[in-house]
Amino acid sequence: MKKSPDTNKLEEILKSPAFSATGFMGADTRNLAEIIDADMAEVARLGYTPHQIAERMQQITDKAKSALGNWIKIDDTHSAMITEVKGRIPCPWPHAGNFAKRVTTLKDMQTGRQIHFSDLNIHLVAEHNFFEGRGSPFRIDPKEIVEMLF
Amino acid sequence: MIVTLLTSVLIISAIAASLAAVLAVAEAFLRNYGPCKITINDEKEITIDGGASLLSSLIEQKIFIPSACGGRGTCGLCKLKVLEGAGPLLPTEEPYLDEKERADNVRLSCQVKVRNDLKIKIPEELFAIREYTARCAEIKDLTYDIKLFRFELIDPAEIKYTPGKYVQLLTPVYEKSSEEVYRAYSVASDPAKKNIIDLIIRLVPGGICTTYCFEYLKVGDEIRMNGPYGEFRLTDTDAEMVWVAGGSGMAPFVSILHEMRNSNIQRKTTYYFGANKAEELFLTEQIKQFEKDLPNFKFVPVVSDHGTGSNWNGETGLVTQAVERNVKNAGDCEGYLCGSPGMIDAAIEVLKKLGMDEKKIYYDKFA
Repeated sequence: MKKSPDTNKLEEILKSPAFSATGFMGADTRNLAEIIDADMAEVARLGYTPHQIAERMQQITDKAKSALGNWIKIDDTHSAMITEVKGRIPCPWPHAGNFAKRVTTLKDMQTGRQIHFSDLNIHLVAEHNFFEGRGSPFRIDPKEIVEMLF
Repeated sequence: MIVTLLTSVLIISAIAASLAAVLAVAEAFLRNYGPCKITINDEKEITIDGGASLLSSLIEQKIFIPSACGGRGTCGLCKLKVLEGAGPLLPTEEPYLDEKERADNVRLSCQVKVRNDLKIKIPEELFAIREYTARCAEIKDLTYDIKLFRFELIDPAEIKYTPGKYVQLLTPVYEKSSEEVYRAYSVASDPAKKNIIDLIIRLVPGGICTTYCFEYLKVGDEIRMNGPYGEFRLTDTDAEMVWVAGGSGMAPFVSILHEMRNSNIQRKTTYYFGANKAEELFLTEQIKQFEKDLPNFKFVPVVSDHGTGSNWNGETGLVTQAVERNVKNAGDCEGYLCGSPGMIDAAIEVLKKLGMDEKKIYYDKFA
């Protein structure tokens, strides 16, 4: 499908180091629409919506923030910890809004498995249905996160 | 028919390619602003080729402005006064500038493009900032996600700084980053050892610089850094001090303790340091030695997860809770904080609640 100039521009921004040194697309050769469509299909197959996923991520981040960088128990099987660095990062989509450079690590205490997501990840999932491209350091695999969150 | 179609496609492609070439040439010329003069503090003049950001133009001239985000306009550190020639304030700068700063012509130098002559004002101490090449001399595991990196300076071979300062470490282009990136880390070394810089770095998941340091940097590798930066330092008073830190926030306090021992500073000091588990406390032997050498210094490690069956008998809970339980005379004290932004915000609230004047709370939010 033909892409609009705005989509082309957005894809260039997502690939570039303009907002994040590694970009948001990773090594993914698919275009933005293909990435979003594939992830949305996977999320639907798993029986959830991006909004539900983002809401749960936000709840975990909010709880972890209170532990000031220490691990905190989220439920019987999960604990979480926040890592923060100075500064804020804007959303690469053309709208106002920037986010604390805060990464939440969620750990399954039984298996030791961990996933990481940033405050910007939560926004990108909730508002733009974007889980980032394969190979991006902050790519969230829908199946993996659904297994950890619910 | 097919020949006609192919011919049409070829003609259209040739026209598109020609237009692209014209655009590229035009862009090169239009973005060439020619030589631009930057007048600094009404004293120094430099001439540069216009078109780049003010921050990168100054760095090219070896004038280093603090920046922790590589010029992306996301850290708000590279502020300086642009008295003439900057053009209107950009939306990317607005979140980082308060009313007074806007009135004083403060701008983010990474967002200001040099398109014409500029007049700027920068603090004199920034002229003392140098770029250093150094060799990684030691990498030591402190916890599962915190390491100490020791660098021996090569050129210049010595650095002079007051403890509490930070340096910006350059991450080169590597497998996971296609461009050079600077990140800021507090210095943890003894300021009397002028050819050594110790950095205590906590791994940030997905972090460009910390991933480089943890997974790629090897003993013997050469790196570049610039500094020293920052205003975090001991005041000249005799006031009792309450220090609060967590994780890699340990760094400036180690440097300050060296200075206190070197200069025989005997101010009463209590250092609250938070860790997740007792086994994640680090440099404890060194800190205990400082306790012996500085009779008015007391170290209070605080462990949040002491677990069942643990033989930990020290302070427990969040570091801020330990401060709240133990500090009785905050109104007479100065507070010094270093750690994550969240921990610092929480510590400020606790110290204010305990009666400490906010103006006497000094902090460095670099994690």
